[in-house]
Amino acid sequence: MLRKDINELLTRTGPGTAMGELFRQYWMPACLAEELPEDGCPPIRLKLLSERLVAFRDSYGNYGLIDEFCAHRGASLWFGRNEEGGLRCPYHGWKYDTTGQCVEVPSEADNSSFAENVKLTSYPLVKIGDVLWTYMGDPASQPPLPEFEFALTPAEHHYTSKRWQQSNWLQAFEGGIDSSHVTFLHSGGLKSDPLFKGAKGNQYNLNDTKPFFEVADSEGGLFVGARRNAEEGSYYWRITPWVMPSFTMVPPRGDHPIHGHFWIPIDDENCWAYSFDYHPMRPLTEAERQAMIDGHGVHSKNIPGTYRPEANMDNDYLMNREKQRTGEWYSGVEGIAIQDSSLQESMGPIVDRTKERLVPADSGIIKARQKLYRAATALRDKGATPPGVDPAHHHVRSAAVVLPQKEAFLDAARDDVRVRPGFPISSV
Amino acid sequence: MAVETQTLSSCARAATAEEARYRIDRPIAPSRAGRVVALDPGAADVLRRTAQHGWANARFYVCEAGAGEGEDVVLRDVDGGPATLADELASASVVVMVATDDTGAACAHGLGKACWERGIQTAGLVLGDGTHAGTTASAAVAALRPHARVLLPSADEADVVDLLSALRV
Repeated sequence: MLRKDINELLTRTGPGTAMGELFRQYWMPACLAEELPEDGCPPIRLKLLSERLVAFRDSYGNYGLIDEFCAHRGASLWFGRNEEGGLRCPYHGWKYDTTGQCVEVPSEADNSSFAENVKLTSYPLVKIGDVLWTYMGDPASQPPLPEFEFALTPAEHHYTSKRWQQSNWLQAFEGGIDSSHVTFLHSGGLKSDPLFKGAKGNQYNLNDTKPFFEVADSEGGLFVGARRNAEEGSYYWRITPWVMPSFTMVPPRGDHPIHGHFWIPIDDENCWAYSFDYHPMRPLTEAERQAMIDGHGVHSKNIPGTYRPEANMDNDYLMNREKQRTGEWYSGVEGIAIQDSSLQESMGPIVDRTKERLVPADSGIIKARQKLYRAATALRDKGATPPGVDPAHHHVRSAAVVLPQKEAFLDAARDDVRVRPGFPISSV
Repeated sequence: MAVETQTLSSCARAATAEEARYRIDRPIAPSRAGRVVALDPGAADVLRRTAQHGWANARFYVCEAGAGEGEDVVLRDVDGGPATLADELASASVVVMVATDDTGAACAHGLGKACWERGIQTAGLVLGDGTHAGTTASAAVAALRPHARVLLPSADEADVVDLLSALRV
């Protein structure tokens, strides 16, 4: 359980909130690069951290993320005309560049300086990998660009998708560090999903449904180790890194690509689940990429032209009780991503954590909440820079390894959980 | 009068904030009879402070290794009163072991084994850094590892309070 005031603090991310200010210390995904596919393409609406914005790519290829509403009469710039070097409000013709600077007010005299004094709130928007990243904090404190490995591999090595989740970000994120649910909720996927199946480690998962956990601090967040019995004298460890505030990686399986997530608040009752796969050593195969596009692995099959999953709360997630009965889909819902989102959304928009009955196996979640609370209040009260801002903290990998029983997992797997260019992921 | 042409699904109706107001809202009884055990003198100091918080069913002890083998450990109340391991475990549903250094490794082993045999859920917190071999409490971590369902090898004093609060002991 969590005190009501702490639950409030951790789940509210709008402007001026402690958690909102914490998120605003980091570069975070704003949208996928595919949403602004070419110079001068149509702008898109975005809501991030409860702020309504438009993102656009001007005719010169510059990316901009600015206040959605025209400074003149408050019309949405989603209707804007993406003209040469800026976005023009179609109502009265005011035009803005990618920094939010108004560059033209047609009703003013040609030599008027009025436009110079009009500037919309704007945030930087930078393409790294498949993602357009933004930083919504104080420009004076803007950290260096993110250095997550998935985004820095060659384009043919990675794939990124996103889906709309109709719940607060925290309950979605908490699923990412909750390794014990995999054995149940995703048990069908371990046997059948083309991006999971066939790994030797899957059998350890299925054979031992009561893992032990170790939760250790890292510079950027936590490492959560889930330990299951392997062969005599050894343990199978699945190690999940969390980098604050909401980056997690799923431990790998065999030679399948490695994957992970970001959970980004849209507002307090909705979030984006970004999901990525990459292989540091080789391009994704056509079959792998197609499986990801088709919604296998950690990805979702979305309604064409949108980022809303086809299976969503409006159609009861296409619940199939027969598949549930046979165990092919343990919960009756198809796919890893929707299996997670269906249950997380069922908790309600913001789950009431004062009602929880946690168990020791939830210690990763307990510790993560504590770290988020400490970081948010230390930032609020002392201006302390939180963990995970420094790009050096991004250089982590998940790992799945078999270790001698007497080994401390972070000693034995020290090299496995950090990015080592040119070295494969550690996987069983 | 407008005619509703689309019926929301069961999930869509149930997942709204409005519907969340109808969740059964009755007081939740403490779910765990927690026994919190210090494995060394430093941990005992921490538990004396922790015990001052208002706990429902938690009891706090110091563990001392006995002269014999295995489960031969002696419990005392954090205030020095006597306690019997078998009696305390008989009524326990979770045991949280706390260490600050390696001196309690034998206790960790004996207590963990006793809990394991009785099917009692266990958690181990090592205050300071026990994450790596050679650090202050690495032997305590190694002793706890086989028996603690959850191990926090780099915890601090607040972790003890936060874990016990989350477990509603």
